[in-house]
This record gives sequence, structure tokens and C-alpha cells, in this order.
Amino acid sequence: MDPRLALRLLWRDWKGGELSLLLVALLLAITTVSGIAIFVDRLQGALVLESSAFLAADRRIEGNREIPEVWDAQAHELGLATARTAVFPSMVFAGDWNQLVSVKAVSEGYPLRGTLKVADQAFVPGEETNALPAPGEAWVDGRLLPSLDVSLGDEIEVGSLALEVTRVLTDEPDRGGSFFDLGPRVLMRLEDVPATGVIRPGSRVEHALLLRGEDEALARFREGLGEDFEVYYDWDDIRSGNDSIGRALERAERFLLLGGLLAVLLSGVAVALAAARYAKRQFDAVAVLKTFGTTPREIRDLYLVNLAVLGALATAAGLLLAWLVQSGLLLALKDLVPVRLPPPGVRPFVVGSVTGFVCLLAFALPPLLALQGVSPLRVIRRDLGAAEASTLGAYAAGALGSLALLVWYADSLELTGWLLLGITATSTVLLAAASVLLRTGRLVGMQAGSGWRIALAALQRRGRDNRIQILVFGLAIMLLLILYLVRTALLDEWEAQLAPDAPNHFVLNVAPYEVDEFRGLLAEREVAPQPFYPMTRGRIVAIDGEPLEDAERREVRRLTSERNLSWAEDLPAGNRIVAGQWWGAEPAVPEVSLEEEFARETGVEVGDVLTFSVADRRFDARVTNLREVDWDSMRPNFFIMVTPGALPDYAATYLSSFHLDAERKRFLNELLRAFPTVTVIEIDRVIDQLRRIVDRVTLAVEVVLVLVLAAGALVLVASVQSSMDERLREYGLLRALGAGRRRILGALVIEFGALGLFAGILAAVGAEVTVWMLQTQVFDLAGTVHPWLWLAGPVAGMCLIGILGTLSTRRVVDTPPAIVLRQTT
Amino acid sequence: MLSARGITKEVPTAAGTLRILSGIDLEIKAGETVALVGASGSGKTTLLGLLAGLDEPSAGDIRLGGHLLTGLDEEARARVRGALVGFVFQNFQLLGSLTALENVMLPMELRGDEAPAAKARELLDRVGLGDRAGHQPRQLSGGEQQRVAIARAFAAAPRILFADEPTGNLDKDTGRRIADLLFELNREFGTTLVLVTHDPALAARCGRALTVDGGRLVEGQAALAPFGA
Repeated sequence: MDPRLALRLLWRDWKGGELSLLLVALLLAITTVSGIAIFVDRLQGALVLESSAFLAADRRIEGNREIPEVWDAQAHELGLATARTAVFPSMVFAGDWNQLVSVKAVSEGYPLRGTLKVADQAFVPGEETNALPAPGEAWVDGRLLPSLDVSLGDEIEVGSLALEVTRVLTDEPDRGGSFFDLGPRVLMRLEDVPATGVIRPGSRVEHALLLRGEDEALARFREGLGEDFEVYYDWDDIRSGNDSIGRALERAERFLLLGGLLAVLLSGVAVALAAARYAKRQFDAVAVLKTFGTTPREIRDLYLVNLAVLGALATAAGLLLAWLVQSGLLLALKDLVPVRLPPPGVRPFVVGSVTGFVCLLAFALPPLLALQGVSPLRVIRRDLGAAEASTLGAYAAGALGSLALLVWYADSLELTGWLLLGITATSTVLLAAASVLLRTGRLVGMQAGSGWRIALAALQRRGRDNRIQILVFGLAIMLLLILYLVRTALLDEWEAQLAPDAPNHFVLNVAPYEVDEFRGLLAEREVAPQPFYPMTRGRIVAIDGEPLEDAERREVRRLTSERNLSWAEDLPAGNRIVAGQWWGAEPAVPEVSLEEEFARETGVEVGDVLTFSVADRRFDARVTNLREVDWDSMRPNFFIMVTPGALPDYAATYLSSFHLDAERKRFLNELLRAFPTVTVIEIDRVIDQLRRIVDRVTLAVEVVLVLVLAAGALVLVASVQSSMDERLREYGLLRALGAGRRRILGALVIEFGALGLFAGILAAVGAEVTVWMLQTQVFDLAGTVHPWLWLAGPVAGMCLIGILGTLSTRRVVDTPPAIVLRQTT
Repeated sequence: MLSARGITKEVPTAAGTLRILSGIDLEIKAGETVALVGASGSGKTTLLGLLAGLDEPSAGDIRLGGHLLTGLDEEARARVRGALVGFVFQNFQLLGSLTALENVMLPMELRGDEAPAAKARELLDRVGLGDRAGHQPRQLSGGEQQRVAIARAFAAAPRILFADEPTGNLDKDTGRRIADLLFELNREFGTTLVLVTHDPALAARCGRALTVDGGRLVEGQAALAPFGA
């Protein structure tokens, strides 16, 4: 067929309004999917940049041994930028004062990501700088000035080297707040370190090589480091660099992915429904065209051209619209969340286009291709439709198309698998249950008033279509519920983790006799204290009497390195026993409890006897339980805990935490003057940064929810529309036979309300099960049950479908029946 | 122009095979006007569908304008229809999304004719609907829709026109005017006309009537008696 004629026919169909729904469905599919993809892409760009600042690099090599210089050269060859840092605790002196500080010595180029902030006096906000302290200079934490009684221009001594304090350091990107990195910061040049004389063999120094560059080059560099690299060094990216942020990012990414997947699925269903309706309305046209001598092949070509044109138009418009939607959204939210996002890459646009065309091929093509099988005899025999066999083919194409899209889009078999399993299981149950519900409804309707009888009989009569409609409604509602529930679970988790009054300072080295006094000072200054945990440092030296000396094995190194040991009578909050049992009141022999992952990585099991070395004394303890620890809780957590009394003779110090607002930071000086031996770790900056990231991710999560809701609404509209002609004809006929306006409206409300109710019941069941699986298997969250869902699902379904359906078919009571019948027959 | 030999049509039903037509032979010459009459369910519409190449007989041969339809697939039958055949239907079968003019243009556009719009306008003028060219079918009365359908049927200048109850959905007066128009144009275009009807008056205007009774053909005016001619 002449393509120009095909285009003319397409244009006439468009003018006649036949194409609107299909085009809107396609447009929304492409807009939603590419909108989400663009948004996520830009957000991920911003997050990666922001997160990289946590490492002050894209990747970081870290270890207690000096890092070979040859690695710098190798990195430079691959086009990577490098810088080095060394962090170590040291006493600094100024006149009569001294203070334990954490020195960070850095090379030229530091930081590779993020910026330093400095000020000219203590306790004021800093300004970004690209400079570093010059050799012979030091930049120091603001609270070090009062505690050493120095001001800018004065000298402090680090070991045997005097350094001039030239700036107050207010912020550094990679201030991770590990237990190793204690005390106020002194920033100096790496080349000054030898002159201090403080680093000797056996000193506790954390060496790091910072790397910045393309992912590919970084990966090649990592490969070049070889196998035994891991014995002495860690390779950090943002995920391993900071557990809390890494986990938050990973969950957010998975959620956004889930949102995108649901958008793809819902859009596909909407396109399929719209295409099926369009095809059905083309039966007559095709039959007439065939009587004019149009061959089946020409019919096929005609609709292929139509689809290609529609796809191209919808893709162009959808991509443009997606760009506008996300730009507009960011503009609208610019005051709420100050987000500066990098421009998107090409991928989201490719994702959107491919989605559009796969939707067309998998969902819209089958019903339109089936048109070539419409018998021309239909012009004299109305009951002849397209070939029946096409239905199965259409389902198969739709399923294959969705699967291909999902796998390609998500690149995560785990997520896709659980989602598909949930949907397939739900669909099967939904179809079976829908039949039962429809039959029950009919039986109930027999006893009921006439509005009910008409409605329930109508439901039963179109049983096959209605079963599919309940399935579609049910799946759409279920997918929306899933997304809403997972989003709520995620946000709740972050909310709890980042509560405004969550502890943001840790204190270490509180002597047992100081604990009460310490509590007193906090109370006096109205700082809410958290529980105190005793702590001592020790290492494991033998398992079941067998000494651990083979330090070449990574798991052994992990096991034998010095660790914080604590003890408690009761299981600390945020801990959960996953194997064995927590100890009783007064255990006869020493027992030990290990964090589950630590136990798994080191191969220690319940029942093993560990020999500990603490301050040159040894004792044995039997492993009686393994704990799951909530590392995101920002509370003191321990890998190893023992029974009280197992360490009776050994000196312990106490560990606690508290919350302090930024404007009350000065309190730290008072605290440190009162308790000079105490160490404070400030994690407020980490928490602030985490909160900024979570804010952005939350924004993304909400946007995705809204877009997917739009896709879901379209599915509902498309589904109602697809059954509209038949409903209009039936109710038009009833109206012609004299049924009153109220009775017809009542029957419509009941029919759609019942469909919605059935769909809602089934959606609630499906969502509950799928969300539980997703929470526990994919998002690493605790599974939750939602009793309110069992009421909300059915009620929401009933109201939503009831209103939507009645509104769409309302014209049957407003239009004279003759016109309704003429238009639909 | 059209001949059929030993036409049988059977369809499978739940109760077994149902024979709708059996052993039909007929011959229609070019320029003839022939009415197919018979009671409801006698098989006359089925016969029309077979003769026009819309369906395949279970047995027998049909020859249309020199083409043997037997054994042709739908693709080939469509080409024969495109070259030779025009249709007028009881329920008009205009495309709802197209205007009257576009409906008439469609067969010419499909054949790739030159200036289809001008010719379509001429035909609409001819059937008295020149001023309704831009209207969509739902804005037209039944009689007007059938006039558009007749204009469309002649647009492709078919050699043979099949009409299925062309006045069946219209009142008596309108039906008569439509029939006048149909026969007038048929004469003008020199088309062979085969029409199915219940209406004895319409059948009587044809040169010949063939009665279908219980799936068999009975030729002659006598057969019209039951219809009160």
C-alpha cells in the first residue's frame, strides 16, 4: 500500500478521535519511563559526585602499611589523578598545654573530590578553598585553639617539629568518623611528617592512596594490583567507604529501579488495552477495506506504517515531555531542595525510546497484526471478529516484551525475579478468584433489588472480559500499593536513622569513676545522654586452642586485628540474636557473642572457644550466640561482646554518645577541659551529609511514585475505555426499554464498584505478599504486615474504579438511547 | 460475468456440520440485474458472500469476470474484488471516522486513481449530497448514509455490484428513492447488479429473480409469489 495513503488514513483516524487513547498511552509510557530514567540518571550523577566527596576521591586504597610508590606511577599511566594521606593519633603541645589529636598529613592534590573549608577564627562557618597548608604550617580544628590556648600565627609541636597554625579547618570531605580517627584534627603536609619523628615501625598509621578518574581506568588499575593486594590493603569505593551511605544509596537505587519497572509494566498494560480497543474498533474498517480489494498483506503494511509513525511521534513528544516534566519538577522544588544536578547522559533517552518501541511491538502490534485476519464477510455477518488464535499470541508477545524490558531495564535478576514471581502468582490467583467472586456476586444479586440484579448479571455475562478487567485493575492497584509500601518503609527507616535528635557525637575513654560525673555534666547542660558501654581493646589469638599466626590470610587478618570488646548483661537495642541464645543472668563460664557477618567472614561458629589477648593477659570464652546488628543506627555497636565478669581484672573505659546541635559545639571544649582524657568523635558532619543525600533520594522516590501513579491511572482509564462500547450498548438498550436514569446510574455504580472491590481485595493480598518478599529479600529491611491495607485496598479499589467507571460511561444516561445505540452498533 | 457450478457451503456447529447451501448452479451475464430472494435463513446472504468472493465455498467452482475463485487465497481474492467488485450493504458500512467525501474517495485512493477528491465530489453531487461532503456518517440520516454508500460503490467503477438488502434499514419512501438511484447509476455505469432483498417490489425491478429455498436455487417469477408480488 502507498505509504502516503496509509498516512492519510492515519490522519483521518486521528481527526476522528480513534487514536487518542492509544497515543496518550504510548506518550505516557515513554514520558514516565524516560522521565524516571532522566531524573534517576541526573540524581545518580549528583549522588556519585557527592558521595565521592566522602572518600575525597573516586576510589581509595587504605591500609596500615605504607603504600608502594610504584602504584602512583601505574595510576598516572592510566590517566588517573592521585594524592596520598596518612592519618595517625599524636599528642600535640603548645606551651603548657597538650592534647591528643588526629593528624592528617596530605600530599599536593588532596582532596581529589570535595573541598576543604577554612576560616580565620574558631566556631564560624568556613569558606571553600583549593589551597593546602604550606610546608611548615598546620590548619587545625577550631576547638583546638581554646584547648591549647593558641591563636592563628602561634606554633604547635607535633613530635619534634614546630608548625605554624595558619587557618582554622572547618570541614574536610573525608572526615569519616571511624574509631581510628579520634580527636580534633590537625592538617599538615605529608612531606613534613619525617621531620616530626612520630612515625616509627609499629606506629598506628592509616595510609591511603586517593584515586580519581574514569571508571574503566580505575577498574584496570584495580586489576593490575593483583591477588595479594587484599592481604594488606582495602579497596574502597563509596559503598564500602561508608556503610550507612552505601546502603542508603543502594536501597534508593533499587527503589528507583523498582519504580521504573512498575512504570514500564503499567505503561505496557495501558498500551495493550488501548491498542486492543483501537483494533476492535478497526474491525469494520478492515472488513470494508477488504471488500474494496485491499489484501491482507496491504492491511498488515497499513497498520505497520501506522504503528511506526505513532511510535516515532510518541517517542519524540514523550522524550520532550519527559525532559520538561523533570525540569519543571526540579524548578518547582528548587527552594525546597537546593539540588544542582549534572545534565543527563544519553542512556535515559535510549531507555525511553526503546521502551516506546518495545511497548508498541509487544503490546500494540499483536492486536493490530491480527486485523489482517478479519474476514471481509464481516460486512454482512457482524459477529465475525479477528482470528481467535491471536489472543494467545498477543499474551505471549506481551509477556516476552515485558520480560525483555524488565531484564534490560533493571539489570537485576533478583529484583525482576521477585517482582515477576509476585505478579505471576497474583495473576493466577486473581483470575481464579475473580471467577469465584463474579459467580458469588451473581448469586447474591439474584436475591437483590433490580439495580443490583442488572449490574451483577452484567458482570457475570461478560465474565471473560470482566475476569481480565479485574486482573488488570487488581494488578494496577497492587503495583501502586507495592510502590507506596516500599517507599514508606524506606522513608521510615531513614527517618528513624536520621531523627533530628539522633546521637551525633561519640565519647570514648571515659574512665569508670568518671561515668557518673560525666552524666552529671551532660544533665547540667541539658544534653540527653545515651547508655554507657564498657570497652576494652583486645585481639583473638586462638580458636579451639589452635593459635592464629598465619597472617597472610585475609580472614585471619580480620580475626586477629585488635578490636573493641564490650560486655553487657542484656542484649543492646538494635541487636537481634540470629543463632544460639543470649546469656542468662550469671553464666558459669565466660561466653562471647559475635556479630553475624564477622562470624561468617572469619568462619567462627557457635560452640567454638575463642582465646582473647587483652593487655597481655589471656582468657577463653565460648561462642554462644550470633547477633544481627543495625549498623545504620548510629549507636555504639560491637562486633564482639562478652559476658560481664569475663574481663574482671582488665582496665576498661566507657563509650557513649549524645546529640549536640551545631550552635552548641562550644560545649565540647568545656567537656574536654573537665575530662581531658576523654575523646569525642564528631559524626554530625557525616550525618548531615547523609541527610542531604537522603533528602535528594527522597525527592526522587516521591517523584517516581507520582509518575507511576499517573501510569496506573492511565491503565485504569484505558481498561474502562476498552470495555466501554459494549457497556454503552447494553445500558443504552436498557434505557431504550425504559429503565430510569437512577436505575441505570445505580447499576453502573454497582457494576464498577463491585469490579473495584474484587480487584482491591486481590490487590491487597498480592501487594502484602510481594512487599514482604521485596523488603526481606531485596531491600534488606525487616518484613512488615499492614493490617490497614486489608481495608484500604478494597475500599480504594471500589471508590476509584466505581467513580472512574461511572464517569466514563455516564453519557449513556445523558444521551438519548437512539444515539447511543446508533453509535455503538 | 459470473458463474457458479455445484456450490455447497457447510459450517461446523456444536450439533455437527450444518449445510447452508447445496448444489447451486447459476450464470449471470454482463449488464444483467439479478435479485436473490428467499425467506430469512434460506442462505441467500451466504450465497452473495460466496459469489462476491468474500468467502470460500465448501465445494464447487465460482468464476467471476473470468477469474476462477476456487483455490485462491484471501490475498488473491482481494485483488479480484479490487479490480471488479463494488458493494452496497444493508447497514451502510461507512467508516465512522471519515467524512462523506473521504468515504467516497477511499476506493479510488486504494486503486491509486488520479484526482479522487474531484471525482468523489462529482459522485456526491450526483447522489444529491454535494453540500454534505464534510459531514461524518453519524451526522447523516440513514437514507443519506446509504446514498453516500452508493456513491462509494460506484466510485471505483466496478464491473459488478453486489447489494445486500440495500433498502432493508430504510422506510418505504426513502427505500424507493434509494432503489431509483441505485438502478439509475447502474444503467449509467453499465454495471452488472446482484442484490439480495426481501422486498418483492425491489426484486421486481430486476431483470431476473433467483429464489433460494432451503439452500437450493429455484429460478423464476413464480418463486416471488409467496412475497405477494
